[in-house]
Amino acid sequence: MKAFSYSPAPTAAEASNEKDSRAEFFAGGTDLLTRMKLNIVSPDALIDLKSADLPNGVSEQNGGLTIGALTTLRDIEQSELIAEKFPVLAQAAALAATPQIRNRATVAGNLLQRPRCWYYRNRHVDCWLKGGSDCPAATGQNQQHAIFDQSPCKAVHTSDLAPALVALNARVKVRGADGERELSIEDFFAPPTEDRRRETTLADDDVVLSIELPSDASHSVYLKAMDRKVWAFALVSVAAIKSAEGWAVVLGGVANNPVRLGPLEKALENTDASDHNALDKQHDKAFADAEPLEHNGYKVTLAKRLIRRAIEQLSD
Amino acid sequence: MTIKTPEIESSKNDGDIELSLPLQQDLTDWQTGHEFTVVGKPHSRLEGAEKVTGRAQYSADVRLSGQLYGAVLRCPHPHAKLISIDTSEAEALPGVHAVISQNDQFDIDWYSEEAPLFSDQLRFVGDEVAAVAAVSTEVAADALRLIKVNYEPLPFVTDMDQALADDAPAIHDGDNRVEEDSEYERGDCAAGLQQADITVENEYRTQTALHTALEAHGATAHWSGDELIVYESTQGVHAIHGLLCEKLGLPMNKVRVIEQHMGGGFGAKQTLWKPTLFAALLSRKAGRPVQLLLDREGENLATGNRNSTLQQVKLGASNDGKLTAIKMTCRINAGAYATAGEASNVAGIFQHLYHCENVKTSQVRVYTNTGPAVAFRAPGYVEACFALESAMDELAHKLEIDPLELRRINYTGRDQTGDKPWSSPDGLKTCYERLDEEFGWSQRKAPSSEGSIRRGYGLAAHEWMAGMGNPPAAVFIKLNTDGSADVVTGTQDIGTGTRTVLAQVAAEAIGLPMESVRLLLGDTAIGGVAPVSQGSFTVPTLAPAVRGAGENLRRQILEAAALLLETDATTLEIKDGEIVSTEGKHKSLTVADVCDELAPQSLQAHGSRRANPTDTTIRPFGALAAEVAVDTQTGEITVIRIVNAPDCGRILNSKTANSQVIGGVTQGIGFALTEERMVDHNIGLVLNADLEEYKIPTVADIPTITHAEVNLPDLNANNTGAKGLGELPLIPAAPAILNAIFDATGLRFTQLPINRARVLAALQAQQETAE
Ligand SMILES: Cc1cc2nc3c(=O)[nH]c(=O)nc-3n(C[C@H](O)[C@H](O)[C@H](O)COP(=O)(O)OP(=O)(O)OC[C@H]3O[C@@H](n4cnc5c(N)ncnc54)[C@H](O)[C@@H]3O)c2cc1C
Ligand code: SF4
Repeated sequence: MKAFSYSPAPTAAEASNEKDSRAEFFAGGTDLLTRMKLNIVSPDALIDLKSADLPNGVSEQNGGLTIGALTTLRDIEQSELIAEKFPVLAQAAALAATPQIRNRATVAGNLLQRPRCWYYRNRHVDCWLKGGSDCPAATGQNQQHAIFDQSPCKAVHTSDLAPALVALNARVKVRGADGERELSIEDFFAPPTEDRRRETTLADDDVVLSIELPSDASHSVYLKAMDRKVWAFALVSVAAIKSAEGWAVVLGGVANNPVRLGPLEKALENTDASDHNALDKQHDKAFADAEPLEHNGYKVTLAKRLIRRAIEQLSD
Repeated sequence: MTIKTPEIESSKNDGDIELSLPLQQDLTDWQTGHEFTVVGKPHSRLEGAEKVTGRAQYSADVRLSGQLYGAVLRCPHPHAKLISIDTSEAEALPGVHAVISQNDQFDIDWYSEEAPLFSDQLRFVGDEVAAVAAVSTEVAADALRLIKVNYEPLPFVTDMDQALADDAPAIHDGDNRVEEDSEYERGDCAAGLQQADITVENEYRTQTALHTALEAHGATAHWSGDELIVYESTQGVHAIHGLLCEKLGLPMNKVRVIEQHMGGGFGAKQTLWKPTLFAALLSRKAGRPVQLLLDREGENLATGNRNSTLQQVKLGASNDGKLTAIKMTCRINAGAYATAGEASNVAGIFQHLYHCENVKTSQVRVYTNTGPAVAFRAPGYVEACFALESAMDELAHKLEIDPLELRRINYTGRDQTGDKPWSSPDGLKTCYERLDEEFGWSQRKAPSSEGSIRRGYGLAAHEWMAGMGNPPAAVFIKLNTDGSADVVTGTQDIGTGTRTVLAQVAAEAIGLPMESVRLLLGDTAIGGVAPVSQGSFTVPTLAPAVRGAGENLRRQILEAAALLLETDATTLEIKDGEIVSTEGKHKSLTVADVCDELAPQSLQAHGSRRANPTDTTIRPFGALAAEVAVDTQTGEITVIRIVNAPDCGRILNSKTANSQVIGGVTQGIGFALTEERMVDHNIGLVLNADLEEYKIPTVADIPTITHAEVNLPDLNANNTGAKGLGELPLIPAAPAILNAIFDATGLRFTQLPINRARVLAALQAQQETAE
C-alpha cells in the first residue's frame, strides 16, 4: 500500500467538495483497505466520512424507514424494527461476511464495494474493469461469475444487501456537487460501461447520505447459497417479498448488478405456488436469456431452486 | 554422604544409540493393566495459559534491539527469464538497510534440482527474485516497488496433464517427469483382475491443497559476532540448523536455532525455505537483526502445497468380497521444483491396507509451472485413501456387502511388502470394533430422506507408513538439588503438545508429580539431535528415550535412598516424589530429601532411542465414519457427525490426543468440501493466494468430532507402547464423507473438493438420467 494522507471530513458537503479523483471516501474501510493493500487502488488521500454529519442508524420516517449511510451491517442485523418489518434485509445483513466485518462495514460501503472477482483482486491482472482491454474470467476460472451478460465484465455484485434493497424498492439519498438528490436504487446500480468502469452511476464526488425504504415488507425472505456455512460471498442469493402489491424476486450473485425477475414476479401473481410444473415453466422463461460461462452453469440450477424455496416459504 | 553416579550410561551414551539398550530391554512393564499415575491422563498443556493469554513467544513475536523487517519480491510470471534487475532505487530509499538479489552472486543452491538461490530462470508465480530489509514492513514494501526487473516471459504449463503432452514447454531439461515411474508389483495383477468375478474402475482427482498454518513461514536472524542465532517457525530446529550451516558454509557451533512455540506447520515447515536464509543474508549485510515473516500471498504461493494427483484405480474381487487384484497408476503434480522432506507416497496404502496377492502400483511426479509441493500431513496417503476407499465403497455397494464387513473380509495382520507381521496385528481390527461401538455403524439407520434432505453414512479405513519413530533421540535429565527435574531434549513442540506429553512420560518414569518436571526443547544449543517433527514421529521417537532417562534417574535416586534408609533399593519405589517401601516399612523420605543429602552434588541421567525391531513392521492404523446430509435442491452438504478411531498405540494424554483428532478431521473436511488452490491455466496465475477465496472450513462447518479411543499399547514398537497420531485423523476423513454422500444420494464423486458447483452438476445429471 502506498502512503496517503488522511483527513476526517466535518460534513458531507465538505467531503464532497474536497473529493477529487486522487482521493477516496473512507467509511468502515473493509473493502477500500483490502483494495489498497493489493495496490488495486492507490489514493493519495482518504477522506473519512465517519466524522461527517451523515445520518447514522435506523429510524422510522413517514411510514417508511431511513437507514443512515454509516449504519453498520451489525446494526441492521440487530435492529428489531428491521427484523419485524423488513426481514429480508435483516437476514441479508446477518448472512454477510463475519461478525467482525459486520461490526465495521457500513451500508453505503456495502453497496459500493467492488467486485471480488479473483482476477480483479489479483494485482498482476490488468482486466477490462480495471481499464484493460479484456476479461480473462470470460474464458478462465469463472465458477463464481455472472450468468447474465450485462457488460464486458463477468463479475457479480457480491453485496448481500443490494438484492434485498432492490426488492424493497429502496431510494438512495446522495449529496453531490449540486447539493442533495434522491435516486431509485435501480438507477443507482448500473452495469459498467466502456467509459464508466464501475457498478454504480454515482459521480466521483457523490456522498451517499442514507437509504430510504418506502414501505414495509414483513413477508419477505433472503436466501444465500455459499460454499461454506458462513463467511463466503453468495454463489447465488435471492431476495423475495410477497405483499399486497404482488411479488418481488431479485437475484444476487448472478450479474454485475442485482437482477430483478420482472416477468416472473408478474407471472407469480397468477400461479399457484404449490403447482411445481407451472412454477418450473415460469423459471425456465426467467432464465431463458441466461448465458452461463464454462464453469458456472450450476448457478442457473441453484438460482431456480433458491427461488422456488423462497416462494414456498412465503406461500406457507 | 557421597554417591557415585553409575558411569555406564553417562559415559557411553554420547551419540551412541546402542548404549542404553540394556536398560531399555528391561522396560517391558508398561503393559495393559499397568497402573499409571501421570501417563494417559488428560493433562492440560503446560504452556496453555501462556498461549491463551497471549504471552507465549512465537517466532513472529521476537523483537530484538535494532531489528529490521524483511520482504520478498516475487516473480509475477509462471515462467520467465530474468534479463536484469536494478535495485539501486530501493537501496537509496530512506529506511532501507539491505537488498539482496541475483546481483549479489551468492554461491548457494536450492531445491533438489540445485537451482541457484537467485536464479535467472523463474519457474512459478511467486518464485523469489529479491529481498529487502528496512526499518518497517511498510518501508520494505515500498522498497520492493522500486526494484526494476526486466523479465522475458517464457512459454509455461501449469496443468499436470498438459505438462506431459509432447509439445509442452520443458520446465527443466527433459520431459517434465521428475523421475522414472516408480513401479511395484507383487503376484500377477493382470491375472488377479482376470480371475475376479467383479471389478470396479475409476479415475480420481485430488486438488492442490494449501497447509494454511495460522503462523506463516519466517524467521528472525541475528548475527552476534560470527555466530548466527535464528528464531524460526519450524518443525525441526535441528534440520534448520544443519541446512543453514550447509548453505552458509558455517560450522555447527556457530549457528543456533530457537523455537519455543509454533502456530502450525502441517508438513510445510519440515525443511528450510528461502525466506529464512534471506533473513540471515540480509542481517549479515545490514549488520542488524532481520525478521522476515511471509505474508499470506507468499505463504500460499511459495512455501509448499499438497500435490494434486490423478489416480487410476482398478480393484478385482471374487463374489465373496475377497480382493483378487489392486491396480493403481498415478501422477503427482510436483510443481516447479522437488523439495526435501517426507515424500508423497500415494502408492503405499494400495500395497498395504488390504490382504491381496496381486498388487501393481506405479507413480510418477510431474513438473508444472506452479509453486513446489511439499509434504502435507500424511502426504500421499490423504490423496490415495480417497481413491482406494471410494473404490472399496463402490465394491461393497456392488457386491451388496456391508462396507465394514468388506474391510474385515480383506483384513491383513501382516506387512505384505516386507513379508512380516505388523507390530500390532490386531490394531486395525480394534479400530473397526471401536468405530462400530462409538458410531453405531452396525445399528445405523438406512439412508433417509426428509423433504429435499438426504442423509447417509460412510466410512473409510487406513494405515500410515510412518508414525513408528526412529533413532536418534538423546535425552538428558538433570535432577535439581530441590528434587525437581529438568528434562532436556532436542525436539520441538509444533503445537501438538509434545512438551506436555514428554513431561508426563518423564514424571511417570522418575516417579515425580508433573509440577516437578520441566521439559526443555526447541533450542539446538541445549538439546541433542532429534528428528524433524514429521511423519507423526515425535512421540514415538522421543518418549522411549525420555522414559529410558527417567528410569535411569529413578534407579539412581532409589540407590541413594537405599543408602540413606540402610535398606535394599529393590524394596523401594518412588511415588509422587516420595520414597515408599514396598515392604510396608514407613520412614518418610522424599526425593527432595535425597537431593538435599546429596547436595551440592546432583544426579543426572541420559536416555536414548534404540533402533526399531527388524522382525516386525510398526504401523498405526485408523478408521472413521461420517454421517452427512445433502440438500438435493441446493446442493448444500452438511457433515452431521464424525467418529474417528485411530490406533496410535498407547494414548499418553487423552486431551492432546483429542486435539489431534479434531484438528486432523477438520482439515479432512476442508479437503473434502472446500479447499482448492485455483490456477488459471491460460495465464498461469494463482487466483486465490489468500484466505478469502482459499476456503478452509469455519467452526460452523465442523460437526461434533468424537475420538473413539483405541488405546492399544504397542510394546513391539517401543518401551512406551505409543505410536504417532498426528497425521492419522486426516487420512480417512474425505473418503468417509464422500462415501456418506454416496449413501445419501447415490452420487459417486471422483474429484475433490465437492463444492456446490460439482454437487449441483451431478444432481442435475442424475435427474436427467432419471427422467
Ligand atoms: C472478509 C470479508 C468478507 C465479506 N463478505 C461479505 C458478504 O458475505 N456479503 C456482503 O454483502 N459483503 C461482504 N463483504 C463486503 C463488506 O460488506 C463491505 O466491505 C463493507 O460493507 C463495506 O463497507 P465499509 O464501510 O467498510 O466501506 P469502505 O471500505 O470504507 O468503502 C467501500 C467503498 O465505498 C465508498 N464509500 C463508503 N461509504 C460511502 C459513502 N457514504 N458515500 C460515498 N462513498 C462511500 C468508499 O469510498 C469505497 O470506495 C465482505 C468483506 C470482507 C473484507
Ligand atoms: S469479470 Fe470483470 S473484474 Fe473480473 S476479470 Fe473480467 S473484467 Fe475484470
